[in-house]
Amino acid sequence: MGQNASGLNRPGGQPGDRKSDGEKKEKKYEPAAPPARVGRKQRKQKGPEAAARLPTVTPTTKCKLRLLKLERIKDYLLMEEEFVANQERLKPQEEKTEEDRSKVDDLRGSPMSVGNLEELIDENHAIVSSSVGPEYYVSILSFVDKDQLEPGCSILMHNKVLSVVGILQDEVDPMVSVMKVEKAPLESYADIGGLDAQIQEIKEAVELPLTHPELYEDIGIKPPKGVILYGEPGTGKTLLAKAVANSTSATFLRVVGSELIQKYLGDGPKLVRELFRVADDLSPSIVFIDEIDAVGTKRYDAHSGGEREIQRTMLELLNQLDGFDARADVKVILATNKIESLDPALLRPGRIDRKIEFPLPDIKTRRRIFQIHTSKMTLADDVNLEEFVMTKDEFSGADIKAICTEAGLLALRERRMKVTHADFKKAKEKVMFKKKEGVPEGLYM
Amino acid sequence: MDPEPSNTGASARKESTVKVPSKDPKKKDEKKDEDLSEEDLALKQQLELYVERVQDPDPGLQRVALESMRNLAGEIAQEYAKRQNEDAPIDDLMDLVQQIVAFHMKHNAEPEAVDLLMEVEDLDLLVEHVDKTNYKRTCLYLTAAAKYLPGPDDMLVLDIAYTIYLKFEEYACALQIALFLDNLQYVKQIFTSCNDLLQKKQFCFILARHEVAFELDEEMVPEDDDREQLQEIINNSKLSEGYLTLARDIEVMEPKSPEDIYKAHLLDGRVSASGTVDSARQNLAATFVNAFVNAGFGQDKLMTAPSEGSSGSSSANWLYKNKEHGKTSAAASLGMILLWDVDSGLAQLDKYFHSNDSHVVAGALLGVGIVNCGIKNDCDPALALLGEYIDKEDSSIRIGAIMGLGIAYANTQNEQIRNRLTPILSDAKASLDVIAFTAISLGLIYVGSCNEEVAQAIIFALMDRSESDLGEPLAKFLPLGLGLLYLGKQESVEATAEVSKTFNEKIRKHCDMMLLSCAYAGTGNVLKVQSLLGHCAQHLDKSETHQGPAVLGIAMIGMAEELGLEMAIRSLEHLLQYGEQNIRRAVPLALGLLCISNPKVNVMDTLSRLSHDSDSEVAMVRIAQGLVHLGKGLLTLNPYHSDRFLLSPYVAIFLFLASAVHLLVNDNIIIIFPSRMALAGLVTTLHACLDMKAIILGKYHYVLYFLVLAMQPRMLLTVDSNLKPVSVPVRVGQAVDVVGQAGRPKTITGFQTHSTPVLLSVGDRAELATEKYIPLSPILEGFIILEENPEYKEEH
Repeated sequence: MGQNASGLNRPGGQPGDRKSDGEKKEKKYEPAAPPARVGRKQRKQKGPEAAARLPTVTPTTKCKLRLLKLERIKDYLLMEEEFVANQERLKPQEEKTEEDRSKVDDLRGSPMSVGNLEELIDENHAIVSSSVGPEYYVSILSFVDKDQLEPGCSILMHNKVLSVVGILQDEVDPMVSVMKVEKAPLESYADIGGLDAQIQEIKEAVELPLTHPELYEDIGIKPPKGVILYGEPGTGKTLLAKAVANSTSATFLRVVGSELIQKYLGDGPKLVRELFRVADDLSPSIVFIDEIDAVGTKRYDAHSGGEREIQRTMLELLNQLDGFDARADVKVILATNKIESLDPALLRPGRIDRKIEFPLPDIKTRRRIFQIHTSKMTLADDVNLEEFVMTKDEFSGADIKAICTEAGLLALRERRMKVTHADFKKAKEKVMFKKKEGVPEGLYM
Repeated sequence: MDPEPSNTGASARKESTVKVPSKDPKKKDEKKDEDLSEEDLALKQQLELYVERVQDPDPGLQRVALESMRNLAGEIAQEYAKRQNEDAPIDDLMDLVQQIVAFHMKHNAEPEAVDLLMEVEDLDLLVEHVDKTNYKRTCLYLTAAAKYLPGPDDMLVLDIAYTIYLKFEEYACALQIALFLDNLQYVKQIFTSCNDLLQKKQFCFILARHEVAFELDEEMVPEDDDREQLQEIINNSKLSEGYLTLARDIEVMEPKSPEDIYKAHLLDGRVSASGTVDSARQNLAATFVNAFVNAGFGQDKLMTAPSEGSSGSSSANWLYKNKEHGKTSAAASLGMILLWDVDSGLAQLDKYFHSNDSHVVAGALLGVGIVNCGIKNDCDPALALLGEYIDKEDSSIRIGAIMGLGIAYANTQNEQIRNRLTPILSDAKASLDVIAFTAISLGLIYVGSCNEEVAQAIIFALMDRSESDLGEPLAKFLPLGLGLLYLGKQESVEATAEVSKTFNEKIRKHCDMMLLSCAYAGTGNVLKVQSLLGHCAQHLDKSETHQGPAVLGIAMIGMAEELGLEMAIRSLEHLLQYGEQNIRRAVPLALGLLCISNPKVNVMDTLSRLSHDSDSEVAMVRIAQGLVHLGKGLLTLNPYHSDRFLLSPYVAIFLFLASAVHLLVNDNIIIIFPSRMALAGLVTTLHACLDMKAIILGKYHYVLYFLVLAMQPRMLLTVDSNLKPVSVPVRVGQAVDVVGQAGRPKTITGFQTHSTPVLLSVGDRAELATEKYIPLSPILEGFIILEENPEYKEEH
C-alpha cells in the first residue's frame, strides 16, 4: 500500500488518506466477510455440512480405543442434542422461521427461471446464462448460500431481474442415476456353481476393503482398486457381479461399455466423469462395467471421429481409475470376454490390480452347475446326469443352463410332467449343434 | 456385516485341515468338564485347534486362525461378564485368555491383546507377554486408551504402561507417564533405577519443562557434584541461556518496538482512532505490547535499550509517560523482558525499588516475580525481596508483592510463603483487592494440591466478606483461587464444593462453577460438561454471572484430548447460537483457550465472524484471537478494525493486547504448554477477562502478566553430553497418530529438514535426521541430550 510509514505519530495523514476515510464513514453497511472460494472438490468438506462434520477417529482397526473414542463423540452429540432440544423448547422459533420463509419466497418471486452460473465476479455478483439467449451480469441475493455457488451449477433466477435467488441442488446426470442398482438382483453366491477361487478373489479385492479396511491396514498394504473378470462367454462373469451386488450393502452402479459411447463429442467422457463422481458421493460403492471391450480396445490410429471419441472415453476411464484424485471407497469391476484386445494401460496394476480368469467349468464344477439348474426340475428316475457331466465336450455354465432349459421344453412339448434322460440327450445335441455352428455333434468323430 | 468374510474361500481349506493332530486337549477337558457348559467346551476345543494351527508353518492356516481368534476373544469377554454377574469361577477362562494374549502379542496384534485383557480386568498379564519388538506399540496403545477410559481404570492402564517402560529401561517414556500420573514416587523410582548420568540429566530437563518442584536426594544421585548439577537443571536456571541461544540462532535478537508491530495492520485505524483513545491508554497498551514482544530477550526499545545511551534517564521517561497504575505495568514489563534471566533481571529492577512512587515499586515487585517465573534459586531472591513488602500499608505495593510471589513460586507449595500470605486473608483491614490477589497467589502456589489449610483460609475470607463486597468483580478472584487449589483433582473437590453451597447467594453459584470446572479441567469428563452445559442452557437475567465461568469450564474440561476439543468447539457454537449475552461473551475466550497457539481454520472463522458482533464486549474476541494465533507466524487481522475503533475506545486496548499476544507469534518463540501451572495462569487471565470493564480495562490490567506462567519456549535445542549446544539436522513435520497401526508407520508427515535449534508449533513433531546421534528422550522438545551413536559410520 505504500503507507506503512503512517504509524502512531502522524495525526492527519495525506489528503488521499482523508478522502478514503470519508468514504469509509459514508458506507454504513459492510457486507459480511467473503466466504472462502470453494470448488466442487471442496464442497464436500466445506458446504453446509462443514459445521456438522465430526472429528475423524484415528485407529481404523476395530479395537477398544476406537470404541471408546466413538462413544466419547456420541456422548458429546447426545449432550448437544439435549441442549438444542432444551433451547428449542424454551424459545420456539418456528413462527419466526415461517415468517422468514414467506419473506424469502416473496423476494424470489414466481415463477423462477432456471439458469446456469457462468462466472462469479465478486461476493454479490455473477454472470449467468439461461438456456436461451445471452449472458447477464446480475446480483446474487444475500440469502443464497454462497458457499455452494460455483461456476457451472444450475441456479434459480428471478423472472424479471434475473438475479440469483436459489441453487438447484440435484445435478446428477439422469443418465447416471439410472445406473444405480436400486433392487438387488436375486442371484447370490449360492447360485454360483464352483468358481470358489474366483469368488474369493473378488471378495478380497472388492468386498473386504469396503467392509474390513482394517485387515489391509494391519498387513500394511493398500487394497486393490479394481478387478477385471475375463473368460469365455457364459462362464459366469456377469453372474458373479450380480452376486456381489446381491450381497453387498454398498452402492452398486452398473454400466455396459456400450452405454458410454454417446452421440455427441465429449458426452462419453463426461458420462464417465459423472459416473465416478456419483460413485464417490455415494461411497462406499462398486462400479461394474460390463463388456468393457466396447470402449477399452487398444489404441491405434483412428480414422473416424467416432473411433477417436471412443478412445477419448477410454482415456477418461483411465484417469478415473487411477488418476490424480484418489477415490478410496470406489471399487471397480470390469468384465470382458476379450481381454487380449484391451488397452494395456487399462490393465496395468494400480488401475486393475486383479485379473480373474473364468475358465470353462471342470467336471466337478459341471456337476455342481447341473445340480443347481436341475434342482428345481422334476426329473424322471432314469435321468443320469453323470453322463453329461463326464462328457468331454466343452460346456460353459450357460450351455448347461441351456441344456436344462431345452430338456424342459422338450418335455413340455410332449406334455410330460417329468424330464427324461432322452430329453436331456436331445437337448444336449441341440445345444451343441448350435454351438458348433451347424456341425452336428459326432459327425466327424 | 459378515464377521468372517473369507469364510467361503477358507472353509474349503478348513475342512481339509481339521484333522491336525491334537496333542493334549483331552487332558484339560477332563479336568474341567464338570464346570464347563457345553458351549464353553466347544469354545475351548476351537481355541486349542486354533492355537495349534497357528503353530502350523503354513501361513494360510495362520491367517484363518487369526481371524477366528478375533471372534473368540469377543466371546470370551462376553462370557467373562456373564460369569462376573453369576460369581462363577473364571480360572479356566483365564487360561484361555493367557493363550490368546500370548498369541496376539506374537502376531503384531497388540491392540487385541490389550482389549481382551481390559475386558477381563487383568492387565497385569500384559507385562509378561511384551517383548522388545512390541512394547512400544503396546504402551502407545495403552496411553492413548487411558485418555478415554473412565474412572480408576485409566490410572491402572497408565500404571501398566509405566511398568512396561521400566521393564525395558525406556526411562524417559516412563518419566512422561509418571508426570502424567503426577506421581513423584515413580519419578524417584526412575531416578534410582537408572544409572546413566546423562540420562538423568535428560530427565531433569523434562522435569524442568514440566516445572515440577522436585528435590534430588542422595539415593537418587549419589555424587554430590552431579546432584548439584542436576538440581540446577531442574531449577530451570539454564532456560534463559538456551532461549537466548535459540533467539540468536534464528536471528530475532533485534528488539522490536510496538510501532513495528502494529503499523502494518492498524494503518487505517491509527489515523481515525488516535482521537478517541487517550494517550495514557495508548502508552499502556504500548507497554504491554512491548513486554510481550520482547519477552525473554533481555532488551527492548522502551525500557532497557535507551539506558545504555543516556544512563537510564530515558527509560525512566517511558516509565513516567504512564499514569498511576500504568506505571505498575510499565515497571513490571521490565521483568517480562528479562524473563528467566534472574541475575540481570534483579539488577535492572533494583533501581525502581528506591522510587518514591508506590506504583513503580509495586511494578518492580511484580517484575521480580515475573523474572523468577518457573526458575528456582537456592537463595530465593524473590522471597527475600518481596517478603518485606507484603505487609506494607500501601495496597498497590502489597498487591505487587503478593502477585510477584504468586508468579514466582507457582506450583512450588512453599510453606514459608503460605505462612506469610494466609494471615492477609483473614485480615479484616485488608482491602478487597489485596485479599483477592492473595487468594489467587495462594491458589497458584498450591495449584492442584488440595491443600486443606489454604482452602480453609480462602473459604473463611469468602464468608467474612459483606454482601456488597461479594458483588464486586474482584471478589470473583477468591473462588478462582479456591478452584486453582483443586485444578485437575476431580473428586477431591467435593468436600469444598459442599462448603461452597453455604456461601452468600451472590457468589454461591459462581463459586460452584469455578470449583467444578477447575477440578475437572483437562479430564474430558463428559458428565461434567453435561452439567455445565445444563447451566448454560438457562436464560437468566443480567445480574447472574456464573454462566461465564461455566462456558470457560466446558473449554477447560474438553481441552484434554483431541476429540473432546473438537466436540467442545461444536458445543460452543451452539452456545453462541442460543445463549444470552453473558454466555456469548465468554465463548470467544473459551474458544481461545481450546485452541491456544493452534490456529485452526474453523475456529479462526468463528472468531473473525464474532469480531463483527454488535456487542462491544464480545469483541474480547481479540484476545481470544491473539491466543489462537499464538504460534502462528503470520498476522491476519482483518480490515474491520477501523470500524471497531470508532465504535468503542475499549476495543483499542484489546487490539493492542491482541497484537501483543500476536507478537509472540511473530517471533515464533513462545507457546503455551499444557502443564498444570500453565493452565492455572491461563485460567486466571481468562477469568479476569470475563469482567473486562472492571478488571483489565480498569486498574488491574497487570493481571495480564499471569499469562507469563503459561509461556514456554517452543524450541528444540540439542546439546551434547557436556550440555553444549550442537547443531544436528532434524525433520520437523506434522504429527501423525500412529496408535494401533501395524509395522513401523511414519510418525510425521510433510516434514522439512532443519538444523537445530528449531521451533516447533502445535501438532508438530520432530525426529532426528541423522544416525550419528541418539537422542536420550524419544519425544524431541525442549532440551534434548544427544549421545554419539557408536555404530555410526561416516559415509563417503
